[in-house]
Amino acid sequence: MSQKRHRLVPETFGLKRRRERGPVEADPLRGELGSARAAVAELVQLFPRGLFEDALPPIALRSQVYSLVPDRTVADRQLKELQEQGEIRIVQLGFDLDAHGIIFTEDYRTRVLKACDGRPYAGAVQKFLASVLPACGDLSFQQDQMTQTFGFRDPEITQLVNAGVLTVRDAGSWWLAVPGAGRFIKYFVKGRHAVLGMVRKAKYRELLLSELLGRRAPAAVRLGLAYHVHDLIGAQLVDCVSTTSGTLLRLPET
Amino acid sequence: MLSGGSDGVIVLYDLENSSRQPCYTCKAVCSVGRNHPDVHKYSVETVQWYPHDTGMFTSSSFDKTLKVWDTNTLQTADVFNFEETVYSHHMSPVATKHCLVAVGTRGPKVQLCDLKSGSCSHILQGHRQEILSVSWSPRYEYILATASADSRVKLWDVRRASGCLITLDQHNGKKSQAVESANTAHNGKVNGLCFTSDGLHLLTVGTDDRMRLWNSSNGENTLVNYGKVCNDSRKGLKFTVSCGCSSEFVFVPYGSTIAVYTIYSGEQITMLKGHYKSVDCCVFQSNFQELYSGSRDCNILAWVPSLYEAVPEDDETTTKSQLNPAFEDAWSSSDEDG
Repeated sequence: MSQKRHRLVPETFGLKRRRERGPVEADPLRGELGSARAAVAELVQLFPRGLFEDALPPIALRSQVYSLVPDRTVADRQLKELQEQGEIRIVQLGFDLDAHGIIFTEDYRTRVLKACDGRPYAGAVQKFLASVLPACGDLSFQQDQMTQTFGFRDPEITQLVNAGVLTVRDAGSWWLAVPGAGRFIKYFVKGRHAVLGMVRKAKYRELLLSELLGRRAPAAVRLGLAYHVHDLIGAQLVDCVSTTSGTLLRLPET
Repeated sequence: MLSGGSDGVIVLYDLENSSRQPCYTCKAVCSVGRNHPDVHKYSVETVQWYPHDTGMFTSSSFDKTLKVWDTNTLQTADVFNFEETVYSHHMSPVATKHCLVAVGTRGPKVQLCDLKSGSCSHILQGHRQEILSVSWSPRYEYILATASADSRVKLWDVRRASGCLITLDQHNGKKSQAVESANTAHNGKVNGLCFTSDGLHLLTVGTDDRMRLWNSSNGENTLVNYGKVCNDSRKGLKFTVSCGCSSEFVFVPYGSTIAVYTIYSGEQITMLKGHYKSVDCCVFQSNFQELYSGSRDCNILAWVPSLYEAVPEDDETTTKSQLNPAFEDAWSSSDEDG
C-alpha cells in the first residue's frame, strides 16, 4: 500500500490511526449490511407471535434497527422514508420516551380490526383506520386535526382511547398506540433488565456474544435472547468490542 | 482567552506558544481574583468577550448578576442585577444595530439587556422552566435561540412582539400554532445550544443523552443521529463547533472526555482523553485551530491538532521534510493560575 503524504482532516484529531475494515466475520447478529426495510423485516421474524396468541402485530424497536444498520443517520432517514410512504407505523412505547416501536402498517391494521371486533367502539376504530391512518403518518395527533380535518367528535375520541388505539400525551394531543401492548411492554422491560443482569453478573462485566446467546434464557426473558440483544446493542446500553473470538458485550464504565 | 471559575475568579490567558516546545503552559496575563472588590460572589457560569474587540468582556454568575468589565483597567463598567441565578448569557457576534445581551436565568423569562442604556430592554415569554442556554444566530442579528429545562428550544426574532417564531419538534410533526405547546426538542432538559459557524444549523444537547441537529430556518430535525452523548450536567453544557475545517466537527464534553463528531454525518471521530474529572466546557479557537477545555479537576487543557511528519515515498529520490517543531506534539497542558 503506497503511503500517501497528504493529511486527512479526520486524522489530525484522531489519536490512533484507524484500522482498515477486514472481512466481516460470520458473527451471529452482527455485520449485516442492508437497508432499514430489510432490517425491520428480519426483526419481525424474531418477534414471538405465539406468546400473545397472535393478538399483537409483530413489533420491532428502533434501537434494534440501529444494531443491524450501523450508520444511525442513514437508518433514521430510511425509517422516515418508509413512514412517509405508509409502509410502517412508528409507535411511542410508553416506558421510555426514546423507545419507538416499528410495525408494518398492514399487520397493525389487521390486528387492530381483529381486536375490536364486536366491541362497541368498533365503528370509531374502523373510521380511524380508514381515514386517519393513511392520511397522517405521524406518531401523534392533535385535537384540532382530529376534529376539524377528520371530523371526529369528542365521544368518538374517547372510544378510541378506550379501544387502546390512542394514548393521552398532553391536553389535546394523543400518541398512536397498539391495543393490548401492555403485556408486551411488561415482558420487554423485564427481559431487558434480565439480559443486562446476565452481562452485569459475568466476570469483569463482559460476555462474548456467542456465549450469551448459547446460555439458557432466564425465566424473565419471554421474548427471546436475540430480540433483547439487538435492542441492547442499538440502544448503547452495552458496548460492542470486536475481538478475535467474536463480538464482546461490555457494560459501559459509568 | 477568558475563563471563569466556580470560585468567582476570572482569569485571562495568553495562548500564544512562543516556547517552541511541544508541551507548554499558557501564562495568565491578569485575573480578577478573590480580593478584587467587584469579584463575583459565586460561580461564574458564562464569560464572553465583547464581539468586536477585546476592550470589554461580560461575565454572568450564580450571584444573580451580569457584569460588564473594562479589560484594561479590570473594573466593572456596569452591573445588571436579576431576581434569579443566571445560567447563561450571550451577545450577538454579528450585531451592528443593537447591543443586546440575552440572559437566561432560573426564571422562565429570557431577559434582554441593552448595554447602551444599561437597563433590561425587554423580556421574552414562552418557556415554562429555567432557561439553561441562550445563543444568538451568527447569521442574523435579531434571531435568538433559547433552551430550557422544560425540554423546549425556541427560536425568537427579538423585534417581534407576539412570541417565538418556532418551537423545535423532535418528531417533525405537523406545524400549526395550536400544537406548539406539545412540541419538545428533547426528552429531558435541553442543556446546550450551538449554532454552526454559518448559522444555518443548530445543535442542541439534552439530558436524554442525545444531540440533535436542526435546520435553523424552518426548525426541522435533520435526523442526524450521533448516538448516545452522555449528559448528566444539571446546568448548561457549553460545547462548540469547529470553524474552518473541511468537514465541520462538533466537540462535546462527554463525561471526563471530549467526544468529536462530524456534524453532518453523525460519525464519531474520536474521544479526547486527558482530564481526570468531568469536562464542563470547551471552546474552539479558529485562528490556531485549537480546542480548549475546562474541567472539574481545575485544569484547562489545550488540544492542538497533530500534523504528522511527511513519510518518505518508496523511491529514494524524494527527501524527508522537517516539520516545524511547534506542531509536533498532540497534547499540551496549561494550569490555571491562582
